[in-house]
Amino acid sequence: MRTLTPTRPPAAEPVPRAQPRRPRHRGRGAAVWFLAGPYAAFLAVFGLAPAGYALWTSFVHDGSFAGGRNWTAVLDDYRLGEAAQNVTTYLLIWLPVLLLTVLSLAFTLHARPGRATGALQLVYYLPGAVTGSAAALLWLFMVSPDSSPFGPLLRLLDVENATDALSGGSLIAVLAVMGVAVHAGGWIVVLYGALNALPKDVLEAAQVDGASAWRTMWHIKLPMVRTYVAFVLISSFASGSQVFVEPTVLSTGAPGQISPTWSVNQLAYVYATQDGDFGKAAALSLAMLAVGLLAAWIVIARTRMYATDPTEAR
Amino acid sequence: MKRWRAAYLAAVAALVLSGCGGTGGGSGKSGDGKGELLVWVDNTRTPAAQQYKKAHPDQKIRVVTIPPEAGYVPTKVSLANRTKSGWPDVVFLTNPAEAATLASDKFGYAAPLDDLVPKSVRDGFAPGSLDTCTFGGKTYCLRNDIAPTVLWYDASLMKKYGYQVPKTWAEYQQTGLKAAKDHPGTIVGAINGKYGAGTYFGSSGCPTRDTLSLTKVHIDLTQASCTRVAGLLQPMAEEKAVTTVVPTDPAFAKLGADDKILMLPGPAWFGDFMFGPAFKIPKGRIAAAPMPTWPGETKSYAGQVGGGAFLVSAHAGDRTEAAADLVRWMTTDVNLQAKQPTYPAFTAAAEKWGEAKSEDPYYASDPMPALSEAANALRPGFGAVRFEADWQTSFNDTVGKAADSGGNLEKALASWQEKLDAAAKTGEYTVE
Repeated sequence: MRTLTPTRPPAAEPVPRAQPRRPRHRGRGAAVWFLAGPYAAFLAVFGLAPAGYALWTSFVHDGSFAGGRNWTAVLDDYRLGEAAQNVTTYLLIWLPVLLLTVLSLAFTLHARPGRATGALQLVYYLPGAVTGSAAALLWLFMVSPDSSPFGPLLRLLDVENATDALSGGSLIAVLAVMGVAVHAGGWIVVLYGALNALPKDVLEAAQVDGASAWRTMWHIKLPMVRTYVAFVLISSFASGSQVFVEPTVLSTGAPGQISPTWSVNQLAYVYATQDGDFGKAAALSLAMLAVGLLAAWIVIARTRMYATDPTEAR
Repeated sequence: MKRWRAAYLAAVAALVLSGCGGTGGGSGKSGDGKGELLVWVDNTRTPAAQQYKKAHPDQKIRVVTIPPEAGYVPTKVSLANRTKSGWPDVVFLTNPAEAATLASDKFGYAAPLDDLVPKSVRDGFAPGSLDTCTFGGKTYCLRNDIAPTVLWYDASLMKKYGYQVPKTWAEYQQTGLKAAKDHPGTIVGAINGKYGAGTYFGSSGCPTRDTLSLTKVHIDLTQASCTRVAGLLQPMAEEKAVTTVVPTDPAFAKLGADDKILMLPGPAWFGDFMFGPAFKIPKGRIAAAPMPTWPGETKSYAGQVGGGAFLVSAHAGDRTEAAADLVRWMTTDVNLQAKQPTYPAFTAAAEKWGEAKSEDPYYASDPMPALSEAANALRPGFGAVRFEADWQTSFNDTVGKAADSGGNLEKALASWQEKLDAAAKTGEYTVE
């Protein structure tokens, strides 16, 4: 079917560049500081200062400067390789499933808006609201074929009991499912918001052209929200590579079943809390910070999420 | 944003978890207050600590209830070490292996008790029970309760099937294989994590965690005391007479409900806390026998799975005496210990504790003879190590995995050894 509307919506009318001689309002600087100040203060106190302290700590051992000792010790640790492998596998399963879930649910919500939309958004958000030992118990029962509503499915996957579910490869799958359930809700709300902000005229034009819901989604909505999708993907990559809560929570429900150094962030935590080695913990945390920064850089530089000029924001 | 949320979730999780412990986790502020004794105990031990507080109005005491999670105390002490304040003067460990962490040079938290608790008192503990607390000849903790293993069995099922309670491991194996064949689905043991490694390898005396000092550990899985366990379990794993399902798994409880647990060598606390409450086995059926004997031995040796311990802080200063007195009372007071839920480490208290246990109508017969025999026959060489968590998961990843997939258990020992070596080195041990 041919559509009269181009698949990519035309760029908005180019907005003339702001006049260089924009009159400077008095108090404008103050307003900027008022708005950005609190964030800057928080960033300094809870972001930059700890990172700086961590950098210092990562080069100190037993109270004296130790050069790269902590860094090489971390890289030599056999647990790092295992943890990195776990996290990589986790990301390979979790990211696509998360993205697919978020996209399909957000688009479905948008394609069939109704009274239930608001309630459903809340429902998607709910799994993330169950935390701590309650979550541990909940998930332990979810993966126990005898008590789980998904028992037949689990048995189909050759999971006979919770011990099976929480060992080896199936543990990663369980964590991925947990991760999707916990994180999808928030992103669905974000993406649904982005879909709602799409220009109505374009969507109406598509409707007039007789585009089906599927084509509208595939050729119009998706291209228009693709920066948001990239944002979801990259932010999730950053948070997923730092996975900590899910394995930690799950291991409180099944003590001794899941290694306390299952993920890289858990290893950093174990360095500080069980090995009493803050230097190694700081080194590994900084390495993980680098992963997060890289993701942030990609978001800012490649997706143009933060572009202020509308001509850029395509 | 996501990371903040993760941090928020972690904080909420921590709050919820500490809330479970009772009066809300260890709020750091320590026994800096002049003379105030800061005591950290878990929920179960809190009433006893309060009782001590009441009996000692002259001594200012603050009792804080801490969550029983593994790793909680080292975490808090590590932070206190960092800020150089906030150490509790007395702490209860639900996981006594953490004594190895807390006594290490790096933590420097646990005070040696040799001069604080008279030898006559220390000698009153079950023989070998203080080995967990002893590194390089110094005793760093007192055991509150111990978890020696016995051979629990379902007396009704044994009678119904016409089996005798095995006296040797060879008989145990025979009975297990026969039961698995004649009554499909029946199991006679669990080999998962600390339950498998502590019960079978612990009882056999296989050096998987034989601590020689705070920095030296003896690990050698090529010894006969290890290979004989692999030999024992091999056919039983193949015929599914032993299961790799962890006893805390709901699926294990189902085995109990379906009358599939014929025998289960396991710690003393299984009697009160697993068979009835978790496995739902009705009263009058469960009984305890001493652990079977290994070839060439006539004495029945017990492994260990759990127990608790009390530590005194090296930072207690002028409160050290008071701290040691509290620990001594908590662990050795016969009347107090006789009312505790788990098997007392102090022998005199255990006898009194056993009087009630002997009358317990839940058991098919008096479990005390087997329990006290086990408490007096702890197999040496089962030390507290800093790699306790890896000790468990590495067992599951090697021996457990082999048992599950029909692999060779003796070969799996070699990979377990490798993993234990690596874990020990990471824990700053030299392996001998």
